[in-house]
Amino acid sequence: MKIKITDDCITLEENTETFALLEKPVFPHYHQNVTNKPFVSSYYEAGETIWAHCQAGVELLADFCHNDPYFGCYAMLFSRLYPLLLSSSQAKNVVSYGPPADCGAYKVFQNFMTFLQEGNALTALSRSSFSFTTLAEQSCHAFLYCLDVHPAQAAVCDALKKVRQGGLFLLYTLQEATPAWLIPLCENGETDHFGSCTVYAFTMDETLYEYACANGSENVILSRAEEVIKRAGDLQNLVQAMLAGTALPEETYKVAALILQQTEEILLSIYDYLEDDALPICANHLKEAILNYYAGISGGFDLTSYREKLSKSSEVFFYAVEREFQ
Amino acid sequence: MKKYKMCVIPAFPLENVQLLKDRVIFPYACFRAFGESLRLVTKSTGDYPYLSYLEGAQLVTLPENEPHMESAVHYITEHREEIDLLFLFGARGEYMELARTYKSLRPDGIIYLKLDANIDWVNALPFSCKPFSGFLQNCDIISCEARRLQSLLYKKWQRPVDYIPNGVYYPLYPEAEDVRFEEKENIILTVGRLGDIQKNSLLLLYAYALAFPTFKEPWDLVMVGSVTPEFQADYGDFCKRFPPLAPHVHLTGNIADKQTLHQYYRRAKIFALPSRGEGGSPNVFSEAAIFGCTIVTTGVDAASDMTDNGRVGRISPDIEDFDGFAKELSSLCLDPDYLAHNFHEMRTYIKEFFDYERLARRLQMLIELQLLKRRQP
Repeated sequence: MKIKITDDCITLEENTETFALLEKPVFPHYHQNVTNKPFVSSYYEAGETIWAHCQAGVELLADFCHNDPYFGCYAMLFSRLYPLLLSSSQAKNVVSYGPPADCGAYKVFQNFMTFLQEGNALTALSRSSFSFTTLAEQSCHAFLYCLDVHPAQAAVCDALKKVRQGGLFLLYTLQEATPAWLIPLCENGETDHFGSCTVYAFTMDETLYEYACANGSENVILSRAEEVIKRAGDLQNLVQAMLAGTALPEETYKVAALILQQTEEILLSIYDYLEDDALPICANHLKEAILNYYAGISGGFDLTSYREKLSKSSEVFFYAVEREFQ
Repeated sequence: MKKYKMCVIPAFPLENVQLLKDRVIFPYACFRAFGESLRLVTKSTGDYPYLSYLEGAQLVTLPENEPHMESAVHYITEHREEIDLLFLFGARGEYMELARTYKSLRPDGIIYLKLDANIDWVNALPFSCKPFSGFLQNCDIISCEARRLQSLLYKKWQRPVDYIPNGVYYPLYPEAEDVRFEEKENIILTVGRLGDIQKNSLLLLYAYALAFPTFKEPWDLVMVGSVTPEFQADYGDFCKRFPPLAPHVHLTGNIADKQTLHQYYRRAKIFALPSRGEGGSPNVFSEAAIFGCTIVTTGVDAASDMTDNGRVGRISPDIEDFDGFAKELSSLCLDPDYLAHNFHEMRTYIKEFFDYERLARRLQMLIELQLLKRRQP
């Protein structure tokens, strides 16, 4: 993939395919530019114009990133950001999540943004979902998110919530297939695709914000916590019946083990947010104790030790769940 | 209840002695419990006389003209319909292609990976490498052999890892059935490659010397296993340094005959495991335990599991602590009532939680849970 820069057009090219990134406007007084920089040189004799700076920036991007598989993505991100950066004289707050800190694209983007407006800021976040927590909600003019670094719906929604109304949320990826959860969201946005690169662009509005709130990690954690509490409640009755020596149908033990297996998986899915990170393994130990107890019953073995282990591991598990969620 | 067509593929060609070790014995116990067939697929490394212990198992020899794992991948491709449950042993990169191929051909099949790892080994695994993490994802059930390791894996991998210890296949030990404490002698036994750095045999030798003056009655130390030249020299020095102790310390050399070895377990009251590290509980522990020996061990990964958190044995946590190990050894030798009581406790504990036939039933239920999970929307 390479970039072709002419006097009035910048395109991405690969084999015989092309993708138009930016075009120089035909009108000399370009009304969409509200920065104090001149877009074209017709009325100004001195000083670099936006278009010239843009051409130089894209050339630099090609120099820095031509070996980077995300090169096409960065170029498309640049073309998506460009109108936003020119759209008002407010200082812009752009946040990026995904590329390594020394990525050449950052230099190019920041350079161009500073050229347009001294107060423009590009913040590169570290590759941790916790880095989102440092940002205020609806505070960014644009958020660039590399889907391949953290392809979780909840994390994407957390990032989406940081974008202000009318701001831009750009998701980019090298994966060809769109994740199932993203498909309905795509109806509210636009998709650029070239070569192996895809950029999903969304303009933030009420609908998107509601979607982000409903599917963000806070809601996911709360709903999963509720699932854990509900399952623990169901289990408590089953385990009590087991420990009381009630004759239970065989299926009861399998159902209890299945509930615990699901609980363990739910807990692992919110592992980063757990105060007690031993909770998932507590669920596993209880599952093991139930399976051993069941094997003891079906084998006609002495159940004393199995009952002891079941009693102990259930005590540990239920106490840990209570301490974590209630 | 569904019967499974089972297949064991080792990462490296099987040797005869390995037929009676965990990598084969546990799958064999599973085969007896819920299998329709069991194939051991390997390039040949010679004769397999131990196959006679594994009635019903079929040894499939891979062709010699290509590397072991390439042959195994071809075998899986051609015989996929004859394999419902694939046993893998060790989280080894060699398995990546094999697991990927099997899963792509038999998405309904089950891959069970027995990790056979210790904490050092797990810490060296390239989990962040995508092909390797993909391999682990292809494994439906992963088990490890020590609870301490299990805790670590939950934190490192954030995926379910079940605890299935290295166990005992009782039909291989008929003579353990009628062992009695009254037959036992004041013997501290150890079995292993003496002088091997991992086995830390010198710790036991000198801990015995430190404990010796505290004994109220004579206790002998019997060390079974091949001896490195370095350890032979250390033993010579030891005998010169402590002449009164020399007659009480016996190096038997390697004992290949199982019946003879079992006689030592039968006679010993205490089994000492001074190791620096083990992948789960070693086979010698299980063997000693079924003969009712009380275990004294260093703080290897499976120390708590082997002793039920110190209930049926003693742990000296620091692997280099001579005084600590001597103290535990001494306290056991001075407590004949505990040893007599623990003879039964140990045998019950090992039967209840390390019997491969019972563990196989648990694996069967874990497989059923996986299948139920797949059926969920």
